Amino acid sequence: MKIALAGNPNSGKTTLFNALTGSNQFTGNWPGVTVEKKEGRYKGNKEVVITDLPGIYSLSPYTPEEVVARNYLIGERPDAILNIVDGTNLERNLYLTTQLLELGIPVVVAVNMTDILKKNGDLLYPDKLSRALGCEVVEISALKGAGIQKAADLVIAAATDMKLPEISHPFSKEADRIITDVSDRLTSVPEEQRRFFAVKLLEKDERIGSLLKQTPDVSAEIKKMEEFFDDDTESIITNERYGYISSIIKDCCVHNVKETLKISDKIDRVVTNRFLALPIFAVIMFAVYYVSVTTIGDILTGWTNDTLFGEWIVPGVSAGLQAIGCADWLRGLIADGIVGGVGAVLGFVPQMLVLFLFLAFLESCGYMARVAFIMDRIFRKFGLSGKSFIPMLIGSGCGVPGIMASRTIESDRDRKMTIMTTTFVPCGAKLPIIALIAGAFFGNAGWVAWSAYFVGILAIIGSGIILKKTKMFAGNPAPFVMELPAYHFPAAGSVLRSMWERGWSFMKKAGTIILLSAIVLWFLQGFGWINGQFTMLSGEQLNFSILAKIGGAIAWIFTPLGWTQGGAGWQMAVAAITGLIAKENVVTTFGILFGFAEVAEDGAEIWSALSGAMTAAAAYSFLVFNLLCAPCFAAMGAIRREMNNGKWFWFAIGYQTVLAYVVSLCIYQIGTFVTTGVFGIGTAVAFLLVLLLAFLLLRPQGENDMSKIMAKAKVSG
Amino acid sequence: MPLTMAKTGESNIIKKVGGRGETKRFLEKLGFVTGGSVMVISAAGGNLIVNVKDSRVAIGTEMARKILV
Repeated sequence: MKIALAGNPNSGKTTLFNALTGSNQFTGNWPGVTVEKKEGRYKGNKEVVITDLPGIYSLSPYTPEEVVARNYLIGERPDAILNIVDGTNLERNLYLTTQLLELGIPVVVAVNMTDILKKNGDLLYPDKLSRALGCEVVEISALKGAGIQKAADLVIAAATDMKLPEISHPFSKEADRIITDVSDRLTSVPEEQRRFFAVKLLEKDERIGSLLKQTPDVSAEIKKMEEFFDDDTESIITNERYGYISSIIKDCCVHNVKETLKISDKIDRVVTNRFLALPIFAVIMFAVYYVSVTTIGDILTGWTNDTLFGEWIVPGVSAGLQAIGCADWLRGLIADGIVGGVGAVLGFVPQMLVLFLFLAFLESCGYMARVAFIMDRIFRKFGLSGKSFIPMLIGSGCGVPGIMASRTIESDRDRKMTIMTTTFVPCGAKLPIIALIAGAFFGNAGWVAWSAYFVGILAIIGSGIILKKTKMFAGNPAPFVMELPAYHFPAAGSVLRSMWERGWSFMKKAGTIILLSAIVLWFLQGFGWINGQFTMLSGEQLNFSILAKIGGAIAWIFTPLGWTQGGAGWQMAVAAITGLIAKENVVTTFGILFGFAEVAEDGAEIWSALSGAMTAAAAYSFLVFNLLCAPCFAAMGAIRREMNNGKWFWFAIGYQTVLAYVVSLCIYQIGTFVTTGVFGIGTAVAFLLVLLLAFLLLRPQGENDMSKIMAKAKVSG
Repeated sequence: MPLTMAKTGESNIIKKVGGRGETKRFLEKLGFVTGGSVMVISAAGGNLIVNVKDSRVAIGTEMARKILV
C-alpha cells in the first residue's frame, strides 16, 4: 500500500514523517532533479510505504518540487494522500488541500499544531471542516506525538475502502459551469479525475498535455472565462479557491479575537528591526562560533586528537599489530598511514557537530529564515539572494552540507551562483592551514585568520559581481519571497537528526576518500627508484620517492605563485595536490614530507623547516590558493550532484581554480615587489591581472547588450 | 497605494495584485488575493515582513510594490 504525505513547507511534514516511520527511512533523489525523495515504512504496518512529497504550496508546474509532487500523484497514483495542514495557518494551507481533493485519490486531512491552537484559545471544529471539505479530518500534534496513530489508521482505512472525497467545494456559478463543460469533454480520463484536468487545462498549464492521452482545445472556454471575470484564468481560479476557503473557514475555526499581535510578530518587530537586525545577528553568530570553535569545540577536538587517537587508538593498534607479528611495513601503513591520517580528520568532528547543532537549532526555531530576510538587502547588491547566506554559514563548518543546503533556493540562477561561491568560506578543514601559515611566517598573528575569512568574503562578493555581468548569470536575483515559520522551540529529535546528517556527510569522506588517499600517499612516498632500482625507501631517502618525481614534474605550474621556487619546491606542489583530495591533508603532508611522522594540528614542529623554504609573500599566496581553489574531492562531488550537469560542474571547478591562481599570483608578485622593490616580468603580469579583475568588476552590466539586441530585433521586426 | 507605503501594524485590504506571469501567480498562491487582508509587521530596507492569511511572509521591495492596498 502506498501513502503519500503532502503539505505546505513548514507545516510539520518532516516531523510527522519521522514520527510515522521512525528509522525505517530511505532517502534519494527524484529522477532528473535534485529534489530529495524520502520514503519509509510505517512503524505499525510494514506493508505500508509512506512517500514524503516535497513541501509545496500548490500543484502548479513552476518549481521542481511542484512538478515532482504532482507527477508522482498523477503518474504513480498512491492509494491515499495524507494531507498535513498547519492549524495556525489554515486558510493558506487549505489552498493545496482543495487541489489534492480534485485528484480522485482518497484524502485524509491532518490538522497539525492543534496544541498551539488550544494554547492561543482558538477553537477548531474538525467535524464541520470534514463535512465542508468532503473528507476525513483529524487533529494532530506532530511535535507532541498526539493523534498520529489515529491519522495513520484513518488514511489506511481510506486507502483500503477506496473512499474518494466528495468534491463539495463549489466555485462561483459561472466558473463552475465552464469547468463542467470542459470536464464533460475529457472522455479519455476516468470520471473522478476530470475536474483536476479540466481546471489545469483552463489554467493554461503547459505541462498537463503530456499527462493526457488526448488534449482537447479549450481556448474558447478560456476566452469566455477571461472575458467574464476580466482576469487571466489562473488568477480567476486561485481567487475562486480562496473565496471558497474564506466562506467555510469562519464556521470551522474561530480565532481568539483578543489577541492582536502574536508573540512571533512581537519578536520579529525587534529581531528584524532596521537598526537592531544586524547587531543582533552579529552577536548571535559570534556566540555560536565562540562556543563551537573556541571553548567547547576546542576541548572536544583536543581530547579526540590527543587522548582518543594519540594515546589510545594509534598506540593500541600499533601494539596489537606487533603482538600478532605483523610485518613492519604493514604496521607502518595501518598505524601511521591509515589510522593516523583518518584520525587527524576525525578530530574535527566534535567541533563540527557542535557548530551544526547550533545552526540546526537556529534553523528549526525559525531564526535562519529571518537571517535570509535580513541579509537579502545586502546580498542583492552583488547578485546573490539572501537565501544564499545559509549555505555559506553551514559551509563554514564543512562545504559538503553547505553545498547541499543550497537546495532550498528555488531560482536556478541563484542556486548555481551559490554553489559556485559557497566553498570560498574557509571550512573547518582549512583552519589548520591558516594556523600553520600564521605560526610559521607571521608569528601567530591574529590578523592572518581574520584576513582568511575576509579573503573568502571578498571572493564571494567579487564573484557575485563578476558572474552577474556574464551572459550566463545576467539579470537580477529572483524576487525575494519566503514564508517565515512562527518562532517555536524545536523538537530535540529533529535538531539532532539534522546535526547528525550534516556531520555524517563529513565523516563519510573520512572513511572513504581520505582513507584511500592516505594509503596512496603512503605508497607514493614510501617507494621510489634508487640507482634505477625500484625499492622501498627509508625515511631520509624521501627525495627519491615517486611522490617527489610527481611533485617535481608539476612544480613549474606554481612557480609564478612563488611557493615552489626554493629548495622545497616539490613538497609544496604535492601539498597543494593532496589538498584537493582533502584540505586536512595539507598539514599532514607537510609533516610527512619534512620528516615528521606526526605533527600537531597546527604543525608547530615544521614551522622552522617551512619558514626556510619560502618567503612570507609566497606563504600567504600558498594560503590563499588553498582557500579559494577547487575544494576537496567530497565537496567537488557535492557540486557535481547539486549542479546535476557535467558542464556546469567543470565550469564551477575551473572558475574557482583560475580565480585562486590569479589572486595568489597577484599576492605573491605584488607582495614581493613591495617588500623587495624588485620589478620583473611577473610583477608586470600581476598588475595587468589586477587591471583585468578591476575591469570585470566595474564593466557595465552585460545584459545591456542583450536588451539592445532585443530592442533592435523589435524595431526591425 | 503600494504595500511598501503601508503603515506598520495596520491592516489593509488588497485591491489588486499587479505584475505578470509567475510573480503574480506566486503571490496569489501565497494568499495575496484581491479582497484579502494584509498587515505589514516589519520593514527593513524596503523588504517587508507581512501577515497574510495568518501566515508570515517575507517579500522583497520589487514584489511589495506590485501589491496595491
